[in-house]
Amino acid sequence: MTRTLRLLLLSLVAMSLAACGSSSSDDSGDAAWSYTSGNGDVIKLDHQPKRIIASAAEAAGLMQYGIKPVAIYLAQDLELEPGLEGLDLDGIEIIGQEWGKIDAEKAAQLKPDLIVGDWWPPQKAYQGFEEGVDKASLKVAELAPVIGANQEGSLEDVVEWYEGFARSLGIDVDAEKYAAGKKRYAEAKSAFQQAVKAKPGLTALAVAPGADLLYVAVPKYSTSLTDFKDWGLDVIDPDSPKADFPYWEYLSWEKADKYQPDLLLIDDRGYDSTIDVAEKQPTWDKIKAAQARAYTPWPGYWVHTYDAYADQLEQLTRAVEQADAGIA
Amino acid sequence: MTTDLLHQAAPATRHRNGAALGVGLVVLLAVLAVVCVLSITLGTRGIGLGAIVDAFRDRDDSVDATVIREMRVPRTLIGLCAGAALGLAGALLQGLTRNPLADPGIMGVNTGASAFIVSGIALFGTQNMTVYIWFAFAGAAVATVLVYGVASFGREGATPVKLALAGAAVSAGFYAITTGVVVSNVDALNQMRFWQVGALSGRYWDELVRSAPFIVAGIAITLLLGRALNGLALGDDMAVALGQRVGRTRAVVVVTVTLLAGAATAACGPIVFIGLVVPHVARALCGPDYRWILPYTLVLSPIVLLAADVIGRLALQPGELQVGVVLGIVGAPAFIALVRNRSLAKL
Repeated sequence: MTRTLRLLLLSLVAMSLAACGSSSSDDSGDAAWSYTSGNGDVIKLDHQPKRIIASAAEAAGLMQYGIKPVAIYLAQDLELEPGLEGLDLDGIEIIGQEWGKIDAEKAAQLKPDLIVGDWWPPQKAYQGFEEGVDKASLKVAELAPVIGANQEGSLEDVVEWYEGFARSLGIDVDAEKYAAGKKRYAEAKSAFQQAVKAKPGLTALAVAPGADLLYVAVPKYSTSLTDFKDWGLDVIDPDSPKADFPYWEYLSWEKADKYQPDLLLIDDRGYDSTIDVAEKQPTWDKIKAAQARAYTPWPGYWVHTYDAYADQLEQLTRAVEQADAGIA
Repeated sequence: MTTDLLHQAAPATRHRNGAALGVGLVVLLAVLAVVCVLSITLGTRGIGLGAIVDAFRDRDDSVDATVIREMRVPRTLIGLCAGAALGLAGALLQGLTRNPLADPGIMGVNTGASAFIVSGIALFGTQNMTVYIWFAFAGAAVATVLVYGVASFGREGATPVKLALAGAAVSAGFYAITTGVVVSNVDALNQMRFWQVGALSGRYWDELVRSAPFIVAGIAITLLLGRALNGLALGDDMAVALGQRVGRTRAVVVVTVTLLAGAATAACGPIVFIGLVVPHVARALCGPDYRWILPYTLVLSPIVLLAADVIGRLALQPGELQVGVVLGIVGAPAFIALVRNRSLAKL
């Protein structure tokens, strides 16, 4: 049971991302290359990485700068990766569509020189190589160095990490075609901060309603929530995160009223069906914000690009503007 | 005094007269009532007895009252219905196949129902139980026929071990279908995981109201089948000689099993071992007469299911262990004991 839950939540955590990407790959650069991974390790190669295998959400972070991986692995079906919609996946091999299962043989044939998957500090593991994945999948991590952004701390830092990664490959990240998203993001961020400022005392709670439990997100282990808190939104810290999977506090539906925020942020992966599941629970309406329909989608661990982050912030800003700080 | 007790006890257990069995049944009903009370009073949310009484007395809208009236009461009733249904389905299958390992869980009937439910939901997009309960019946029927058919190949017919093996294979196949549908469907992550392991949590009045009529009908039919099952237990030739229409009996039993196991699975997902173990316990208590085995199973099964559910609620605070998992842990050793026990292995 615990294992099933963990698998589910890991796969939830592992779902993926939106970005636009024009594909042009820079073939220059035989010089040695190095970049600092999210866990502080400096990854060094004697040439620039050209054959990258990336986790799906992370791949979008690369592709926004035109870095096309040779293969991607997903934690679920490709069509369930809303973020990859619209991305040109031509020529990119799909070597996994299930959490914990990467086709090691195919990965080996592709002779990768770098693997990109974010670093999850609570699990001390890179995306795709956490405890509980297939033994064969773990072999993939031996094919090449693994590198990724730190998924503890600021989401802005995560997006910047990918910007820096692109820069390390000699890509002009300040070029006009990349600047628009970043500019829109900066505007969205400042609008969000202003909206929050105009609603003093507004509290928020980030949740993922499941059929048997209500999962309450721990801001410290969600980069987006960390940012929101830094920018002035009072996101409630659940007091009893699950000891061995500290991203969430697990609440039984009987205790769903434990936290009373003014605004509910609901994990946006499978948003509509999530709302259906939640509304079926007799205690959902005992969360005053739910009864007042004060809820909005919240990007659950998948944003890797300025564009996607800007979209999410704009949506959240509207929700904050409409929110009523007196609900709870 | 002591000798008197000994003298009374020995023949009583040997002959198991009706009066003693009747008293036993009343005692079990009392136990069932206690388990129901526990199921309503115990849970992840601590609710005092006073608040529980209030929940029934005034129709207030407090969270405690909502949890009691809208969650724990229907959950307990679903446990009652599903437990009884699964236990009786097991007793019927054991009587039908004269196979001690017959159980809707082991024979893949429940997993068949689950697989059809998730496929139906995925294909037709319906979350309406009034609709998908029919998928459950179809799946249960297909699984029953498939397993029994496969196991019947060969000269010796459907031996216990062949039936268990065929059941395991079919079960695994259906489970794979369920998992396949679940992992490839985004809604499934939330809503369909439930169909992989049975649980009483997250099931409320809706599920109860839509499955109970079928289960009640199935129970009523089952309780009328005692004599017929006694006949089957003697072997087909003897049953025919006694004037039974064996073919018709079998058909009625299969339909009833489908009704019970399908409705129970639609209500709470696939649950194993109740149908395997409880009829054996009933048999140990009251001997080979199905006219007693069936009512004993009817009362014992929900006791086991609800007790397992209460344990599951308290074992993994603040979350819950699904009752299907609790029963798996308890049931696996029981299954092994049954396989190894020769005297039980003959029906």
